[in-house]
Amino acid sequence: MSNAWPLRTRAGAPEDPVFIGVGELPSGRYPDRTFIGDLTAVALRALRDARMKPRDIDTILLIPNLHSFSDQADLIFSRLVEELGLAGHAKASFMVHSGGSTSDNAVRVAAGLISSGHARAVLALQCERWGSADLVEMITMLSKNGIPGEWELPSGLQFNAIGALIARRYMYASGSSAADMAAVCVALRKWAQLNPNAMYRGKPLTVEQVLASRMVADPLHAMECPMLADGAAAFIMTSAENAAHHGIEAAVRIAGSGGCVSHYSVGQESNLAVLGWPTAARRAYEQSGWGPRDAQLAQIYDSYAAVTAIALEGLGIAETGEGARWFASHCAPGGSFPCNTNGGLLSAGHTGVGGGTALLIEGVRQLLWRAEAPRQVEGCERCIVGGTGGSYMDAQVLLLERWLAGARA
Amino acid sequence: MSAPIVTAFREGLAKGELLIQQCGQCGRPNMYPRYACPFCQSERLGWQKSTGHGRLHSFTILRAGAPAGFENDLPYALGVVKLDEGVQLLARLLPDADGTWDGYACDQVVEFAPRGPNASREYHCAWFRRARQA
Repeated sequence: MSNAWPLRTRAGAPEDPVFIGVGELPSGRYPDRTFIGDLTAVALRALRDARMKPRDIDTILLIPNLHSFSDQADLIFSRLVEELGLAGHAKASFMVHSGGSTSDNAVRVAAGLISSGHARAVLALQCERWGSADLVEMITMLSKNGIPGEWELPSGLQFNAIGALIARRYMYASGSSAADMAAVCVALRKWAQLNPNAMYRGKPLTVEQVLASRMVADPLHAMECPMLADGAAAFIMTSAENAAHHGIEAAVRIAGSGGCVSHYSVGQESNLAVLGWPTAARRAYEQSGWGPRDAQLAQIYDSYAAVTAIALEGLGIAETGEGARWFASHCAPGGSFPCNTNGGLLSAGHTGVGGGTALLIEGVRQLLWRAEAPRQVEGCERCIVGGTGGSYMDAQVLLLERWLAGARA
Repeated sequence: MSAPIVTAFREGLAKGELLIQQCGQCGRPNMYPRYACPFCQSERLGWQKSTGHGRLHSFTILRAGAPAGFENDLPYALGVVKLDEGVQLLARLLPDADGTWDGYACDQVVEFAPRGPNASREYHCAWFRRARQA
């Protein structure tokens, strides 16, 4: 490509940005937990995982919540700086926001700050209280925002309807049956049985149960729609040099990233069965120098089965038209290409903007070889992370690889 | 307060016309209407009346979880329509005579329904129905 844009950081370079730790709290309904309490707890978990103390952090990247404007204001006005004892020490605390793809963009921001020297160590963190929020209020909030108020709001468009428009076109284009789509949900549920933080751990699911659940927005059954959950996730990034300085041996670097914002409103997407994935994937693979055959696993946004199936095809992991069937036959526990090993949004819980964050940190955790057995993908070295936000407005791809201190490119 | 493009589009709907924004500079059609031409950035924007013919890219029938104000409409159908003029829009879909959308399918030919659902309330969105079989 004439307009190829290589990554400016190299494996082994001192300024190469790397992940060194992650933290997570269980997802589900936890009315007794609190927003700031969860953020503090998840930050401390990530710091312990990274073998760092709060004062090793100089920049806090805030991943937003969707449940409360006032909680958002607390974040934006640097409450976490005080809670973590960083008043007078932290250089910056600010928010990055692109809905469900926020975590992917937060990684890009953190990587840029670190490799350019504007940050030494970045703590990115997120908490959502969707599971304990008023459901009707959340449905209305989700339905009325993020779509063009002048043009689409008057139609009665709603978030499950957006997922259904994508699912319908995908099923039509691929010839996937209702059972094919349900089987994706069932595969995700199997992963959730292995994840202690998953909302649906201990609640297995069958294709028959999915198809017997009530129709919510044709072709989506109730059990094909994500459940709003409370949850919290965090990750820590720093330079390879600083990681080595802290005695960290195993880390995760970014081999490349690619993105494509294909629309704002679902009514303006030219192909709902493709979205921005082929463009985003091409950009990411060009930058990394490795492709879908070189990865051992993937973590791809899955608010609905079709969203992930479309991404699998665009990423070149599955053949065009085979995404849903391929997921069910290859991506479940024991399969040849594990995907969404935390159970995904559909079975770990939809923690708002945090759904993508949970998938991202699961990818990092797998590459750090810190997932609980038997969920850990043995010896994995490369993971594809795919995210999307808004009304599936963008496709974001991060290509992550395990990196050992002392290794040189 | 509504922007002039919003008022003009909605006045068109009220008269039974589906208006497509058209650039007075480069001549390209554009939907949904915007404040500057997304192709040449001209602010000299006008309208053309759509033929109302198009194909259904995708559709859904919402049966639960309507946003506030739409509860009494349930179930109702939404679709993405690709108009023959080369632009597309989100629209509501009228049920067939049997009261269902069972006859709808992707890529089917659909047409603008100028009178909408004849409902007591006014909808500021376009309605489409399955085109009569030729």
